Amino acid sequence: MLLYEFEGKKLFKSCGINVPESQLITYPDELDSSLTLRMTGGVVLKAQTLSGKRADAGGIIRAEKQIEIQEKLVEIFSKKINGEKVEKVLVEEMVEVEKEYYLSFSYSTETRSPVMTFGEGGTGAEGKGAQSYPVDILAMSHLRGEEMRLHLGGGILPEELMETALKLWEVFTKYDCELAEINPLVVVKGNPSTRSARSGQNYIMALDAKIILDDDADFRRGEKFPERNLFGRASTEREIEARKIDQGDHRGTAGSVYWDLDGDIAVLAAGGGGSVVNMDALIAYGGKPANYTEHSGNPPREKLKRLTKILLSKPGLKGLWIVGGTANFTDIYETLMGFVEGLREVEPKPTYPIVIRRGGPRDKEAFEALKEIGKKEGFDFHIYGRETPMTSTAKIIVDLVYGKH
Amino acid sequence: MAILVTDKTKVLIQGITGKEGSKVALQMKNYNTKVLAGVTPGKGGQEVHGVPVYNTIAEALENHPGINTSFIAVPNFAAYGAMEEAINNKIPLINVLTEHIPIQDTAKAIAMVKAHSSPSLRDHEVAKQSSNSSNEIATGRTKWYIPRNDIKIVGPSSIGIISPGIGKVGSIGGDDPRGVFSKGSVGIISKSGGMASEVSWILTKNGIGQSTVIGIGGDILVGSTFADLMEEFEKDEQTKAVVLFGEIGGTYEEEAAELIKKGGFSKKVVAFVSGLFAETLPQGTKLGHAGAIVYGEKGSYKSKINSLKEAGVTIAKTPDEIPDLLSNL
Repeated sequence: MLLYEFEGKKLFKSCGINVPESQLITYPDELDSSLTLRMTGGVVLKAQTLSGKRADAGGIIRAEKQIEIQEKLVEIFSKKINGEKVEKVLVEEMVEVEKEYYLSFSYSTETRSPVMTFGEGGTGAEGKGAQSYPVDILAMSHLRGEEMRLHLGGGILPEELMETALKLWEVFTKYDCELAEINPLVVVKGNPSTRSARSGQNYIMALDAKIILDDDADFRRGEKFPERNLFGRASTEREIEARKIDQGDHRGTAGSVYWDLDGDIAVLAAGGGGSVVNMDALIAYGGKPANYTEHSGNPPREKLKRLTKILLSKPGLKGLWIVGGTANFTDIYETLMGFVEGLREVEPKPTYPIVIRRGGPRDKEAFEALKEIGKKEGFDFHIYGRETPMTSTAKIIVDLVYGKH
Repeated sequence: MAILVTDKTKVLIQGITGKEGSKVALQMKNYNTKVLAGVTPGKGGQEVHGVPVYNTIAEALENHPGINTSFIAVPNFAAYGAMEEAINNKIPLINVLTEHIPIQDTAKAIAMVKAHSSPSLRDHEVAKQSSNSSNEIATGRTKWYIPRNDIKIVGPSSIGIISPGIGKVGSIGGDDPRGVFSKGSVGIISKSGGMASEVSWILTKNGIGQSTVIGIGGDILVGSTFADLMEEFEKDEQTKAVVLFGEIGGTYEEEAAELIKKGGFSKKVVAFVSGLFAETLPQGTKLGHAGAIVYGEKGSYKSKINSLKEAGVTIAKTPDEIPDLLSNL
């Protein structure tokens, strides 16, 4: 899960990384002027959105004078940043930057380990010669104090960044992050008017925070964050409902990944790998998918029933494609009967073509039953087994729905 | 002779009393794979499908010194402990079925394998004393010297490994792999479990058998990459060609191309890469496998296809083309 800047900064603060004074507001009139009055160097208004390149899209506005703040707040709340509505704004003190750095921890598939990425220069630094250095995760878990410090940053980081790097490593591991990034990480001159403790000394501060949490570690992370969506829009009702199917039931998965798309062919795909292969094929043949969803790992009948009902509740569908490769252990009979149970409850009754291509345990039994059900109950089933190439059924559904070319 | 799973394979199942563990135990036995023991802490003394259960791996090894492969089917929160125990007991091949293991735990397990594999100073000294004892670790009796690269993790999220006609580890092929897999000379390495079987079926249908089929899992970090296993296939006489089933995200396809360019793999390679569709979605959108995620240019479809082509790999546009592309073996 990608975190908003303000959420990331909370995690930074909890591990002792300095961040600017700030206030998070949801409506322009929530602004606490007693706080902004102390920000004598001016403030920065930062739209809390998830898309990259926020600054280029006008999501960051400076207000040098107090009287400008309210007006600019109204302005930023009225904006859409890369299609995303601005729902929260972080009002932050402006700081005088001496020097900018880029610093992050992430996992590299090249070294198959965590890596520290460091570069001089701030925004856009990922592209400007920042370099990655593998981190020995075992050594880091048993080293302490000075040894740990040197192991992490020795010979790489300027002395003034060593402490911050250790703290960022703590954020990265403690909260199970896939990415913990500070860009820019800045050196500011102590500002005697607001913080006497900083006077005279340089001060290291994270001006931005980008954190991607590892969803697979949710079970052991105390901090919970509300659902969000990368599509720059609120989740649709179907997406929300589909994601509930797996909650509290670990027998296989169905619907945990569900995205509504703009097309008119509903897709009920099986397998994390095969589903993507089939979507590629559908698009290559000119099909317009109404959604992306997948199920795998032998989910029980009820899960398929629920997913089918959600999937087919979408208005304007012209066809349904149920497709998967040759399953290793997913019970084809159970999953397809779950589908039928859901199909029977869809209103109005689907009369569009339904192309089914599956293979795996109990597939023949399933096809016999489906043929019977299709005939008796009047569904337009087109059934294909493992002898028909999986991706070739993309063309079959496309031809049935849009007519042959 | 196939790779990883051979007639010498002797399996231990960690998590054998669980639903997946016991199911797969039976499947493996039915496919003539030797399953010697199982481990579930606290359930020592029980039996699952006639396989004795022990509390710890050490105990299992004491009673069955021939064990050389562990199959891990425990819940994700217990997976790190299970991998650590298998590594500490120096099991040469560790196949992890468990999905949704936190990436930090996988990273630690991979680092442990690396620490065991590259000889440290102490290892060097011991190595001098016992330079021809490389097989001893299979017994689990030799406590502290591991020859280079002698522990291999395949997975997490791995459907398993099958050498058709010889045996299988993991749930690959389900209850009856016989209809789908057939013995032959093509090795398959796949990020997707379902597609490992689908591609095998497509080959079998066209009269092309497989030497060994491996699901490496679709996680961001994996214990064995395409390149790691291609090195094994290179040494295997039975294998004449390899099919790679890749997808967007990460750099394992690029690493495979690099290996070929450097001359580390000389046999025919046919590759299929999926996920073009995913690139039409906003960056960072999760679908399918955890590893199938693209940020920026890295891991993109184009990058993978280009580097594989540069290395002389034949690209299949659909899985069904693969038999034709392999036909002039």
